[in-house]
Amino acid sequence: MLDIAFAKPVLPKSGALALLLEQDAAAGSPTAALLEAADAATDGAVSRALATAEFKGRRGQTTTILAPGAGLSRVVAVGLGKLAELSDRHAEDAGGHAAAALAREPAAAVATVGLTGAQAASVALGAALRGYRFDRYRTTEKPEDKPKLAKLAVLTAEAAKARDAWTAGRAVAEGVFLSRDLVSEPPNVLTPAEMAERCRKLESLGLKVEVFGPKEMTKLGFGALMGVAMGSACEPRMVVMHWNGAGTGKGRKAAKPLAFVGKGVTFDTGGISIKPAGGMEDMKWDMAGAGAVVGLMATLAGRKAKVDAIGIVGLVENMPSGTAQRPGDVVKTYSGQTVEVINTDAEGRLVLADVLWYCQQKFDPRFMIDLATLTGAIIISLGHEYAGFFSNDDTLSEQLRAAGEATGEQVWRMPLGEAYDKQIKSDIADMKNVGGRPGGAITAAQFIQRFVNGKPWVHLDIAGTAWSSKDSAVTPKGATAFGVRLLDRLVATHFES
Amino acid sequence: MIRLHIAASAPEALATVVPLRAGAPPPAPAAAAVAATGFAGHAGETCEVFAPAGRLLLVGLGDDVAGEAGWHAAGARAAAALLALPRIALDATALVPDQATAFAAGACMRAWRFTRLKTLAEPDAPRLAAIDLLTRTPEALAAAWGRAGAGVAGASFARDLVAEPGNLLTPADFAERLALLTRHGVGVAVLDRAELARQGLGALLAVGAGSAHPPLLAVLRWKGRGTLARTAAPVAFVGKGITFDTGGLCIKPAAGMEEMRADMAGAAACAGAMLALAQRDSPCPAIAVLALAENATGAASYRPGDVLRSLSGRTIEVVDTDAEGRLVLADALAWAVRRYRPRAVIDLATLTGSIVTALGHHRAGLFDSDPALAEAVAAAGEAVGEPVWRMPIGPGHRADLDSDIADLRHCLPGRMQPDACHAAAFLREFVDDTPWAHLDIAGMEQQAEASDLHAVGPTGFGVRLLDRLVAMRFEG
Repeated sequence: MLDIAFAKPVLPKSGALALLLEQDAAAGSPTAALLEAADAATDGAVSRALATAEFKGRRGQTTTILAPGAGLSRVVAVGLGKLAELSDRHAEDAGGHAAAALAREPAAAVATVGLTGAQAASVALGAALRGYRFDRYRTTEKPEDKPKLAKLAVLTAEAAKARDAWTAGRAVAEGVFLSRDLVSEPPNVLTPAEMAERCRKLESLGLKVEVFGPKEMTKLGFGALMGVAMGSACEPRMVVMHWNGAGTGKGRKAAKPLAFVGKGVTFDTGGISIKPAGGMEDMKWDMAGAGAVVGLMATLAGRKAKVDAIGIVGLVENMPSGTAQRPGDVVKTYSGQTVEVINTDAEGRLVLADVLWYCQQKFDPRFMIDLATLTGAIIISLGHEYAGFFSNDDTLSEQLRAAGEATGEQVWRMPLGEAYDKQIKSDIADMKNVGGRPGGAITAAQFIQRFVNGKPWVHLDIAGTAWSSKDSAVTPKGATAFGVRLLDRLVATHFES
Repeated sequence: MIRLHIAASAPEALATVVPLRAGAPPPAPAAAAVAATGFAGHAGETCEVFAPAGRLLLVGLGDDVAGEAGWHAAGARAAAALLALPRIALDATALVPDQATAFAAGACMRAWRFTRLKTLAEPDAPRLAAIDLLTRTPEALAAAWGRAGAGVAGASFARDLVAEPGNLLTPADFAERLALLTRHGVGVAVLDRAELARQGLGALLAVGAGSAHPPLLAVLRWKGRGTLARTAAPVAFVGKGITFDTGGLCIKPAAGMEEMRADMAGAAACAGAMLALAQRDSPCPAIAVLALAENATGAASYRPGDVLRSLSGRTIEVVDTDAEGRLVLADALAWAVRRYRPRAVIDLATLTGSIVTALGHHRAGLFDSDPALAEAVAAAGEAVGEPVWRMPIGPGHRADLDSDIADLRHCLPGRMQPDACHAAAFLREFVDDTPWAHLDIAGMEQQAEASDLHAVGPTGFGVRLLDRLVAMRFEG
């Protein structure tokens, strides 16, 4: 992670500098003063370069000036748009753009003149998030080809406030990175057992971690999860992570915990209903729902959130083999309901069925939110800009939507209803695991809803948002950790004591 | 079209339908049958009674005071059960007018069928042709039925159009069928290919270029009544009317292609809504612009890679000739908003397979540039039992349409695309600042099998929604 420090806004005498500049800054404004200072040091080179580049300070506009003088190796101007309209998200984006433009520099400063301390911390968060890279398996990359930015000084008049806000920001970034690491890991490395071991390491943050193996889950009666797992040589796991941060001070009665549940299929071949070869390598990230839950729990613990939360992940590998589940099989879920397996590639909902039922029965949570890379249908519905969500709770839905707006992890509500539920009726069992192409993401949600026992619940289908094929301001291409920041914000805004 | 008679008695009816709430006492002649069958009046329950005084059908309403949808469903179930009888009566003597009309509308909608092309007698074919609506106050109910019945007439008109096969309903045939509307005071104008070329509707012309049946733009105009007619800008409906869609050079697979005769359901719904407004003498001025074309494969077909100049001036790169609906709508929308400066424009189209994957066959997709309009559309749909669901147009959906050669491309290559969102983002480019809503009704235009609630075949989806939208939002 980028080493972030906050310091007084003094123009550095050497190295690289990013200037975050307001659009159409008025004379005498902090932005104008900053530019004047930069110009004074460089004999007007900065202003001349910006004029030549037609830099206006529009949001997202970036211009790089190499060796403008005064000992500076590089000056990067990043547009903020109008300061009055600057949201946290915009500040994060500006930090991300700055980090991308400064990637060749080992150390740099970013001047956030005119921004509050909290906004400066958002700039830091954006820069840190953009600086992520999953490097573990590159052994021959030349050092000069690697991004170098390791230290970033954020220059702000409100350094103390920024440092305060960064405490939480840093925990968020660490949770996001943990999640991105897990999702990026190849499937031969990150088996269910390996992922469970990595969850165990979170005990160092103060989380209590329980790991269930096939014996325990069979004994409990997890027929659906075990059915998915039985084709693989890699044993399944269920990991339950407890964060007890609400405290039990005098006169405070223990509130019900919040619960987050993730689909963790460490590799999904489709099973006997095997997928086409093209693109199958992407199925290593079919555990991104679980990856988000783990990252979220690490974030809550890392920033010592004043909340009680449970995170549960169901970890399996979906393989075709002589012992694999077949289309036509009927399995008995932990809830007692039976499922006819029509398509073994609709395995995520089978895993969630048992884990959600366990969750509500064991913990009686205030709500359950599950995350899963569940359907191709949600990609055809919404693309990669929004995750789809389904819920039986309007208030929670609105809170979630607002959290998505605030963090840039946007969500769009999709419908549920009896007519859709009928599509998963089975002739032989209580339900079947697919309902056909029409409304494919909805019928998946209807299936899951049968295992929440009426508890307040949200299902997030993140199949289109868990992985990105191109860089965006605060997310390099690859694993996005979608859900970590969304749910952390939801908790922070509405559920902390 | 089913005939409806509003009367105090129905001597010719062969059966009488009696709606019953859960637990309500049945009429005396039915008491024994009710006791024997255990009929309890649940919603969806029916009980047929052959009483000496005449045949009865009890229809359960459930516990709650049934809303409009409940009465509509009860009427549909009654008709479904009695389709074999040429004439039935609905007992509405205990109902208020709104209940009675919803009850009757449900029965009429369920009794609709398309038999024009059958020449052989089928002994088991449905025969229901007339419905008596029994009431103690025929005059009062007749006035109420004027409003509800207009929606039914509009929906039936739309269904008849959608049912017609592609060889019998070419763009020119479609335009001719609109003559019916002139009898109700709707102005009908048709722009032919030469006129379209003169005005520059390049996108619509390109889509129709491969067919022996040239494209047309049909314009329907209802002037409204009273103050609104003089002062208000019209509401505009714009419909996709691809009378047959082969996909063009990007030809569709053969399986299921016959259903593409229904790819003009959006235009049919707009025409049906105009009929409904005229028939109930709506005060609201309205226009409908129907883009009629056949998307055929031919020597003059437009090609993937072609760049079209649309009426708006915007250039469009063609990626897939089977995404033709948004092209004809682009010109029709631009034409409508420029010509009439409408207070709102709502387009309907069987546009994408993507929306079927997203919402299935139970809701149409709603996209918009105006949240208040969208809410009104959704509320109207809910009220008449034509439900919709709001879908997003994100900045990324629009950015995806950037083209290397033209102002924009109309879709993206490859599967796994949010094509419904892309299509909506595309259409939004052609409505200027007019409040706009777009209904992607693919998946809703036809019913694959008959059920208690729906006749098989075309649904007329959108007609009653638009009619109700106007009544709820634009007549005040």
